[in-house]
Parts: sequence; C-alpha cells; structure tokens
Amino acid sequence: MNNSTGISIPGEGGGGGGGSTAATSSWVSPTSVSTSGKRIQREMEELNNDPPPDCSAGPKGDNLYHWVSTIIGPPGTPYQGGIFFLDITFPSGYPFKPPKVVFKTRIYHCNVDSAGNLSLDILKDGWSPALTINKVLLAIRSMFSHPDPYNPLVSGIARLYLADKAKHDELAAEWTMRFAK
Amino acid sequence: MVSDSIKVSIPSAPKDFGKKKRANRSAKLKQCKLDVRREQWLSQVKNKGSKEKPNGLGVSPCENERKNDMENLETRRIGRGNEEEKENGSIYHEFDSDSPSHSPTGSSVLSCTDVGTNFTGSSSSSSSSSGGCCSGSITEEEEEADDDCLDDWEAIADALAANDDSKEGSQNNNSCPVSESSPKFEPSVRSDSISPELEPSVRSDSISNNLDSSLEDLKQECPKTAPPRVAHGNSRAWRPDDAFRPQSLPNLSKQRSFPNTQRHYGQGGLPWHCSNPVNVPSCCPICCEELDVTDSSFLPCTCGFRLCLFCYNRILHVEDGRCPGCRKNYEGNAEEAELSVSGGSLTFRLSRSYSMIARGYDFYG
Repeated sequence: MNNSTGISIPGEGGGGGGGSTAATSSWVSPTSVSTSGKRIQREMEELNNDPPPDCSAGPKGDNLYHWVSTIIGPPGTPYQGGIFFLDITFPSGYPFKPPKVVFKTRIYHCNVDSAGNLSLDILKDGWSPALTINKVLLAIRSMFSHPDPYNPLVSGIARLYLADKAKHDELAAEWTMRFAK
Repeated sequence: MVSDSIKVSIPSAPKDFGKKKRANRSAKLKQCKLDVRREQWLSQVKNKGSKEKPNGLGVSPCENERKNDMENLETRRIGRGNEEEKENGSIYHEFDSDSPSHSPTGSSVLSCTDVGTNFTGSSSSSSSSSGGCCSGSITEEEEEADDDCLDDWEAIADALAANDDSKEGSQNNNSCPVSESSPKFEPSVRSDSISPELEPSVRSDSISNNLDSSLEDLKQECPKTAPPRVAHGNSRAWRPDDAFRPQSLPNLSKQRSFPNTQRHYGQGGLPWHCSNPVNVPSCCPICCEELDVTDSSFLPCTCGFRLCLFCYNRILHVEDGRCPGCRKNYEGNAEEAELSVSGGSLTFRLSRSYSMIARGYDFYG
C-alpha cells in the first residue's frame, strides 16, 4: 500500500490512485489520470526541447510514469565528472503529489542515504504542483554543490562536512571515481 | 443581450426586413443597429472606388451615399412635386405636414432643404434629426419607388434614426473621416459594440448553425453591393497578426468548444483587448489543459498564479489548499470565505462566485 506499488501502475493504472482519492471526493478521480498523463507528456517534450545543463531525463520504457534520469557531476565539486543515475516515478496524483526520486548511483553526500533516498524539501513538504521535473533536476544538481548538512540523511557525512570540508571532498571524489564513472 | 439578438434574428434578417421595419421598432432596435452597421460598412466599400468625391470635408463614403440617395430622392420628389405642386402647392409643405405621421420615431421634423445641408456636414447631432425626417419621407415614398438602392437607404436611415441618439460618439468616429482607408476603418468597427455581427471571432460563439446562416446572410447581401471586398474583409478580420485581435485568443476551434462563455464579450462597450489580460497562459500550468474563458479570467490568488477550476478545486478539497505559485493558503481570498460553507450548495456557490469574478474582469479590465 505504499507509494511504490501504486506508482508502478502504468497509464490507465491511475485507477488505483483514483480509488484512494475516491474516499475524499469522487469527482476528482476521473480527472487525475488524464491530468497526470498530459502533464507528464508535456514535461517530457519540454525536457527534450530544452534540457537543463548536465541533466537528462525520459521514460524508462513505454511507461510514462517511470523515468530514468542522469545528472553529470557539476565542475568545481567533488562529484565532478561523475554520472549519477536517478529513478523518477510519478504518482498517479502527479502533479498534486511530488514525484519520487531515488539515486541509483551511490554517492557520498549528506543528503542522500545508502538506499539512494534524498532529503530535498521540494520533493516533500515544499512540493508545489507548479514545479516540474526540470526544476527538480536543477535542484538536485545544485544539491551537489551546496549540501545541506543541517538537514542530513547521513549525519556522519554532515558532521564531516562541517568539521573538515577538505576531508569530506576527498572522500566524495573517491566515491565518485569508484561508483559514478 | 446583443449576442442574443444576433442569434435569433440574423438568419431571417434580410428576407423580411421590410416588414420588420414597420413592426414594433423598439423591439428591433438592436437588429437595426447591426444592420445599419453592416450597411455602412458595405456602402463604404461600394463608394470607395466610384462614388467618393474629392472633398476633404470629413464626409464619409457612407454619408456620401446618403447624400447621393437623398439627391435621388429629391430629384424624384421634385419631379413628382412639380406635378403635385399644381394641386398641393409646395412639395416642402407636403413634406412637413406628412412627416410626423410617417416617421416611426416621431422625431423632429425638418424641411427638405435642411436635410440636404445636414448631409453635407459631418456633425452627428444633425444626423439624428435628419435621419428621422428622412425615414418619414421615405416611407411615404416607398409605395411608388421600390428599387434596391432605396431599400438600402431606408435601412440606413431607419436604423440611424434609432441609433444616433445612443451612439453619437462612436457613430461620429466611424463615419466621419473620409480619408480613412478601409483597414483603418475596420478596427474602429471592431471595437464598437455593434460589430459582433461583422466580427467572426464573436460570431463563433454562437452555434455553428447560426454561424453558417450568418455567413450566408452576408453572402446574400454581397452581390448587391461589393462581393470581393467583403470576402477580403472577413479574411482580414481573422488575420493572426491583427493588432486588435485579442492576444489571449489562441485559435477558433478553442472558442467553438466553449460556445456560451464568451457571450458577455459582445455586450459591453469595451473592446476585447481590454477585457483580456495579455499575459494569461493559454493552458493550465498544472494539468496542461487549455484554459477556457472562465478559467483565464479566474484569479484565485493575489500572487497572480492562474490555473483551471478543476485543479483549483482539487487543490482546495483534496490537497493542502495552497496556491501552487506562492504556497500560501487560498483561504485568504474572498471567495474562499464563501466556500467554507459545506454541503450540496458548495459547487453552486463556487460557480456563481467565479462567474461574477469573470464578469468583473470583463467590465473593469
């Protein structure tokens, strides 16, 4: 019953989401499927036409709700040159619900845990339906250069970042070399 | 209200206009306005090449026609009057005595010479009184002379008499400057409240049947006056780069899919481009569906973020109720206070408040 089961339902599988929302309001459910579908389609076109720097994203297969994305480690950071893969899954309630983004490439970063989950405000409480995947990718990319050690997922990395940034960067670069190239 | 009258009366307008003219005038006032505008437009086209006189006096082609017709009328009348003078005395005397009974509006009576001079001038105040007088004299005349030219003239005169009282200003704008070329004339017509009949984009809000019939209606009249120019004018009105075309209007098919929502655009005296803010997105940023007119005039948050009513309702009732643009709660707004009432009347109240908002934007920009 968690998100992942509902998310992987392709296309018409929005009925699953519709069933859950039907309890609160029955007239919303018919719109939710087409809403997310058209919206995601539009975002895909925009990403193809005007991709953000060092980022790419698109559907993994023929499932519009399951994307794979790559972000190249920005220059000037210990992640420079690394290619980081991310899984993006859209809930059927998208864009009213945030997409779920998971790192598939291991990364030494205080806001990304070992399972690849990231703590990014706009993917949780800070989500707004006006945000797009384009902006999410930009936010993740800026997360590389500006970690947030005060809201960490991995507190050890955050402590090291605050105490000894040089050591932190060295470790991060090492992980990047090992996992992301 | 204007668009209502358009819908109902356009298809039958050309056939029985003569009858209608004698019927209840006040009921047909709207139709008369529309018809006279069309006649003016067509007659301007007609006069443009041939009849336009090289006078820079500010007499429009329309008024040229009026003058020409008037001269026809006078000569005819004088010819007839010469015979009648033997019995009745002066033709002018007969004119004066007959006019009040024949003039449907009961407007002031002028002598025939006054009418002649008034037509050469360009003042609109005189045209109202002279119009009334002329219509009176024509109704008297029409039993004996029934050619097309006179019918057209009648239509103009009749409707002008009713029209000028209320619309002196815009009438003046539209008809006076003679040196204006047609393209310049069109925008002034379009910004007028009478124009919806000539304005295809407004026409599109009526049902497609009416659209067809009104097109046919226009075509029927075209051979009489000026077919090529009318066709040109129609295509010109649709030109996408037209400066007076509402900018938030993406295409015709979109308008046709929402037949009723644009009705109020025709009735206000305001031109279209004032009632539509320029920077309204063409589709909802949330669901990517196209915004209809109600949606695009719906501004739920002070931050200016626009979205369609479906998404707004969903955010309000299912989601957290915060504006996607600024993340503030929608509850600070006026309609939200009204929405806090629960129950079956909720959606009705919603739609009503939305429509009021939409209308407010239309009228006050």
